[in-house]
Amino acid sequence: MIFSVRKSIYLTVLLIISLFLLGGCRSEHPFVKKTAFKDADKILIEFAGAVDESWARNPANYTVFEKPDPDIRLIIKDISISADHKKVTLIFEDDLNKNQPHILTAANISHGGKSLGSAILNVKKFYLGYLFSILIGAMIINNFVFTKYLGLCVFFGTSQRKSTAVGMGITFTMVMVASAMISWFIYQFILQPYRLDFLQIVVFIGLVSLSVQAVDTVLRKVNPVLFKAFGVYLVLVIANCIIIAVPLILADNQYNAWESLMLSLGAGLGFLIALFLMSSVRERLELANVPPTYRGLPIAFVLAGLFALAFLGFSGMSIF
Amino acid sequence: MDPTLIKLALGGLAVLGCIGLFFGIGLALAAHKFAVQTNPKVEEVLEILAGAQ
Repeated sequence: MIFSVRKSIYLTVLLIISLFLLGGCRSEHPFVKKTAFKDADKILIEFAGAVDESWARNPANYTVFEKPDPDIRLIIKDISISADHKKVTLIFEDDLNKNQPHILTAANISHGGKSLGSAILNVKKFYLGYLFSILIGAMIINNFVFTKYLGLCVFFGTSQRKSTAVGMGITFTMVMVASAMISWFIYQFILQPYRLDFLQIVVFIGLVSLSVQAVDTVLRKVNPVLFKAFGVYLVLVIANCIIIAVPLILADNQYNAWESLMLSLGAGLGFLIALFLMSSVRERLELANVPPTYRGLPIAFVLAGLFALAFLGFSGMSIF
Repeated sequence: MDPTLIKLALGGLAVLGCIGLFFGIGLALAAHKFAVQTNPKVEEVLEILAGAQ
């Protein structure tokens, strides 16, 4: 028992380290070390070596826009460059909206007179707060069940009892995180480099069923009690559309490892919350005097609509 | 046909085949390692029963 606990701790540590590596090793351009927001209206670019001053001072070399609005270019007022020519600070006319990731294109970076090619860079707000906002966003503000209407068949099928609802929610969260991380890895490191991203749906479906099958096989042996408790829900996870929506969103937004972890965790926990809320109301509903035509699914749909209305109150909120 | 497209298609086949093979072998090994012994009589009895339910 002690041995297996130690082994699982090792495994977890290994997983976290590899996540760090994966999160860190993705740089958009080998010559660019870092990009960050500074003050209210500045973006700092840090290069690996000295860039030519004449190139760095020319505002025509940079285009900056907020990710959702590519056609609204931000106007650069001034450019300052550090003494060792490694740090370039862009100063903008207006204050930046730091809640949105910005796309910065630096054309033909010039180092010692020769061009090193263009770089398309993502500038994001740091970081824990951003990750937390992704988590809460997926969990509550953009709850997949109540605002996107995904995963409804499993949602209505397993929300009759509180105990089954919680079991389903926990199973779902586990499988969701596992499959989303695998899909993220395959998409970033295999599909994109080989330009196979048009096959993403096929690959993601395969990966989802793979992770479900793997969890099924391992759990059956390692923890039969838990396996019995999960019962049929483990297989039902495959039939849930949230689990295929999340990898597609990850691929669409080019999230990195931590952001993917947060989004998948948020999606799973959001589904758990939705199931729990629904099941606690449906348990009470059995004692209520419902008109015969409404009994069962119809009243459940009405309820889900009411919940969706309540969740509408969160819409448009942003954290930090 | 454009040779780059053919290259893309063949490369895709190869890459996806490799992924499939890799995970297939992985699953098979996992199933082997985590095999659960079941009583063969259970299946025999189930087969003899009517099986309407």
